[in-house]
Amino acid sequence: MSSRILTEFDLLVPRDIPEALEILGSYREQVTTVAGGTDLLVAMKSGYRTPYAMSLAALPDLDYLSFHEKLGDENQGLRIGARTTVAQLLESEVVKECYPALWQAAKVFATSQIKNTATVVGNLLRGSPAGDCSCAVYALGGELLLASLGSERLVSVDDLWIAYGETACAANELALELRLPPPVKTSIFKRLTRTHEDLAKLNVAVNLTMDGDICRDVRLVMGCVGPTLMRLKKSEALLRNQRINDDVLTQVMECVREEITPIDDKRSTADYRRQVAGIFLKRAILQACEQA
Amino acid sequence: MISPVKRHEITLTVNGIEHQLSVASHKTLLELLRDQLGLTETKYGCGTGECGACTVLVEEPIQPGIKRLQPVLKRNAINSCLTLAVTMNSRSIITAAGLEQDGELHPVQQAFIDEAAIQCGYCTPGMVLKSVSLLEKNPNPSEAEIREGLEGNICRCTGYAKIVKAVQAASTSMVQYAGGEE
Repeated sequence: MSSRILTEFDLLVPRDIPEALEILGSYREQVTTVAGGTDLLVAMKSGYRTPYAMSLAALPDLDYLSFHEKLGDENQGLRIGARTTVAQLLESEVVKECYPALWQAAKVFATSQIKNTATVVGNLLRGSPAGDCSCAVYALGGELLLASLGSERLVSVDDLWIAYGETACAANELALELRLPPPVKTSIFKRLTRTHEDLAKLNVAVNLTMDGDICRDVRLVMGCVGPTLMRLKKSEALLRNQRINDDVLTQVMECVREEITPIDDKRSTADYRRQVAGIFLKRAILQACEQA
Repeated sequence: MISPVKRHEITLTVNGIEHQLSVASHKTLLELLRDQLGLTETKYGCGTGECGACTVLVEEPIQPGIKRLQPVLKRNAINSCLTLAVTMNSRSIITAAGLEQDGELHPVQQAFIDEAAIQCGYCTPGMVLKSVSLLEKNPNPSEAEIREGLEGNICRCTGYAKIVKAVQAASTSMVQYAGGEE
């Protein structure tokens, strides 16, 4: 199918959040929500369609990054609005300093034109197993604020991705904000691509909580190795409360090969992904350790 | 509740000229520029945000209360082929034809000519616009930064060497120009 043409659809451009929620409540599966649209428009040009689309372009005050530093404050952490772009992450000293994995993901994310338009929350809701910002966010941990008519709920990123392209955000819900926990400085994001601006063959994000040279807690996430981004819980268990040394890392490298379920696709083969997953994860863990 | 509609009335400023337009919901900004306004300097390449031929600059509105040292607005490069025209309501954009001032080419345009950084010319409008936004944000980029900045613009003729040279030359002349004005 031609990539040139968007076929006709009706567009709704709500001016405030209640109006947007009313639209979602009424049209549900019949309406597609467009934030940046960099991924969605490509999909729509190649055949994806719903009768209606709703743009968030006219919703005020959703393009923020707000950081609450105060210890013990229940709001402590970073809040990312529904229309905040990937470029905004890159320009933020707070993201660079306090959430390095997310900053690194934003850095290698697509091209600068796409970064200026694509939203962070949109990347999460795309539900791609290759999403770079999503991979970093999964490792950092956090919650997505979902609103519908008359109610709001928080969904942990651990429960967000259900299947390929499918998330916990229901048809009548609008994601308003991503909330990240207090600074996660010992975190790293890495990815493998053929050329720099490609989508990943494999990506990985590591979030370590160290106590001296003992790993107290860890979140390991790998992308492009299953239908959704994958938390490597068995590998995490090998690291928790252990001194990070060659023995442990060798066990992790063995374990991750068993844990992932990669497939062959146009960017890589399952064999290759299995082959490099271990060493790639090991390097990421060591790099994160250096930050600690 | 508002109803879904096939057309929207919007205001769009292109190269400083304000247009009142009736736009079909499914039209991209690129289609609006080329087909409705006849501004064909913005090119259609891939339609999927990979080649950058359709690049335009969007002027970000100055937020009230924020003091800016320079009167110049922040200008972000975007792919007009991936932007629904209706969503650009009340925004201001710049195309390659809007870069010249008082009949003088922009230093980046001049550098592309001087360095012969143009062969077939199809990528040039997008390449020039992206270079302008790159230099506005980083007046003295290294070669690596230029190559990274132009990642979203594909040229199938030049092999990029002359384009990189042109951006370096423009950087030098713009820094001198800015220095001379102070």
